[in-house]
Amino acid sequence: MARSNFAERLRRMLMMVPWVLEAGGSTVAELAARFGVSEDDVVRDLNLVMCCGVPPYGAEHMISVMLDDDGTVLAWKGPYFNRPMRLTPTEGFAVLAAGRALLDVPGADSAALGGALSKLESALGSGSVSVDLGAPPFLSLVRDAVESGARLSVSYYSAWRDEVTSRSIDPWLVFSQEGRWYVTALDASSGEVRHFRVDRLRSAAATGETFVVPGGVRPPPRVFSGGQDTTEVELDLPPSARWVVETYPAVSVDELADGRLQVRLAVTGERWLERLLLRVGPEARVLSPPSLTHVAPTAATRLLARYTAP
Amino acid sequence: MADPPSTDDRFERLANLVTFLLDTDKGATFAEILEAIPGYPPGDDSARRAFERDKKLLRDEDIPLVEYDGRYRIPPSEYYLPDLGLTEAEQVALRLAVAAVPLGGGEGGGSALQKLTLGGSEGGSGPTLSLAADLEEHPLLPVLHGAIRRRSLVTFSHGGVARTVEPAMLFFRDGNWYLHGFDRVRSAERNFRVDRIDSSSVAVGDVRSFVRRPSAPSSSEAAMPREPWLIGGDDSSPSESAVVRVDAVLAGKAVAEAGSSASVERHDDGSVTITMPVVQRAAFRSWVLGLLDHAEVVGPPALRGWIVSWLESIAGAGG
Repeated sequence: MARSNFAERLRRMLMMVPWVLEAGGSTVAELAARFGVSEDDVVRDLNLVMCCGVPPYGAEHMISVMLDDDGTVLAWKGPYFNRPMRLTPTEGFAVLAAGRALLDVPGADSAALGGALSKLESALGSGSVSVDLGAPPFLSLVRDAVESGARLSVSYYSAWRDEVTSRSIDPWLVFSQEGRWYVTALDASSGEVRHFRVDRLRSAAATGETFVVPGGVRPPPRVFSGGQDTTEVELDLPPSARWVVETYPAVSVDELADGRLQVRLAVTGERWLERLLLRVGPEARVLSPPSLTHVAPTAATRLLARYTAP
Repeated sequence: MADPPSTDDRFERLANLVTFLLDTDKGATFAEILEAIPGYPPGDDSARRAFERDKKLLRDEDIPLVEYDGRYRIPPSEYYLPDLGLTEAEQVALRLAVAAVPLGGGEGGGSALQKLTLGGSEGGSGPTLSLAADLEEHPLLPVLHGAIRRRSLVTFSHGGVARTVEPAMLFFRDGNWYLHGFDRVRSAERNFRVDRIDSSSVAVGDVRSFVRRPSAPSSSEAAMPREPWLIGGDDSSPSESAVVRVDAVLAGKAVAEAGSSASVERHDDGSVTITMPVVQRAAFRSWVLGLLDHAEVVGPPALRGWIVSWLESIAGAGG
């Protein structure tokens, strides 16, 4: 919900005064940058706040902040706004969840973060937030490689093609999205920047070469959003397979009167589709394209050969 | 109707009001507020309406404006953040965490940091990231978190079913947030996926409306095992010991996913034999078939036969 102009300004003022006090003074330019507003806004707010206080509005009853002609802002310890406001529920949750998430990752400065979180929790009241991001085997190694700029030689399992390939990568950033760990890396063999799933690394070792991570690398909004190499597949699924549309981004979903689902998915590889259909079971059907209607029976027959081999 | 006040006038009135209500020990009546704070419009009705709007704005901003016996005040103990005494290293750790795991947009971690780390020396550009995590956001999370902290009973509709829950823990797993709590309707501990709770149905009860149960789990692992094949069984569900052979290609991944309750025998060719408890067969089947040709259920015979039947039914469905 968008805040009103008043709420926005009030909140800023309530944060700004204790901030200036703690910082031992500031400037209009610094406050504008830190609070994300124009210098004119800062001046306008401070000029008003300097006139606020409690009756009888004498010097000792005013909010203790002052703006000088040269843009210097001073605050001194008065009776009000010496300390910041308590955290709102949204702020409290955001910082606790962020801290808990990072505490779960190997290699974090867990002593400092753990100390900060226990102080926070004792102030906020214990709120039992737990973030379980998982830690696939090579996560620490890849993260260290990002921090030290170490090129890695890896073997990587591609679930789309069900094959293992070897390559050399420059890892730029490790990130978790939808509960999975990825590494954004420059693939030296193709020259492309790709997102590799960390849990699909079969091996990883430093080559001894180094690189410099380019600035401003950020996680993509969504790792998988379909692509040029995808085939759109239309599936008819039983009601028990609702998890499919809750787990994977579907192009479209139609729920039929009997609860069955007709789902269009962008599929990158036949192996991925095999895996999906074997899990859903005999009630799943590929409606189109015709070239993929036999994927599940063919895969089941192939797997059965393992079980029936002498 | 009186002219609306200019934004500067109302801002000044609000700043004075907050200061005044923080300053008063015994609270101030509406009449005393009108006398003390300039800027309210003339006429009792207009002034009252303006004051009601101010009250709402302050409360929307989570400013603890309390009303008792017709007197208003903002208790300093509820308004100010207590001094947490964060060390420099702890401030840096929190700053990194909020940068790596941005939540709540501009009103979340960023503004919390402004309050918590105060005069920190770093500029606004933030540290260079080597690691980031995207926790799915949901507007109910701060609400449910507040209910856990205050021990307020929560009622809501989840998957179309009405629930009354003593909330105990929020946890994030595999891309989803879950609320764990004691479901009074079912008389059992349950996990609820937060994105399946109908937001419009949520009602939060009074503060301290239940006593925390000794059975409440101490970790997300206790609330919901990581391995889905261990979930869902009650105490009477039989557990069987599955034996799975996984080839070298997916051995590492399978061992990591099988979890700490599994035992692993490694072979010279890089393959492994994993022995693991299974309570829920369907979840186990889903996992093992996800490994495709790289895995084979070796035993026990009944479980192996069950997997073979499943595959046969799929193979036959193509005819």
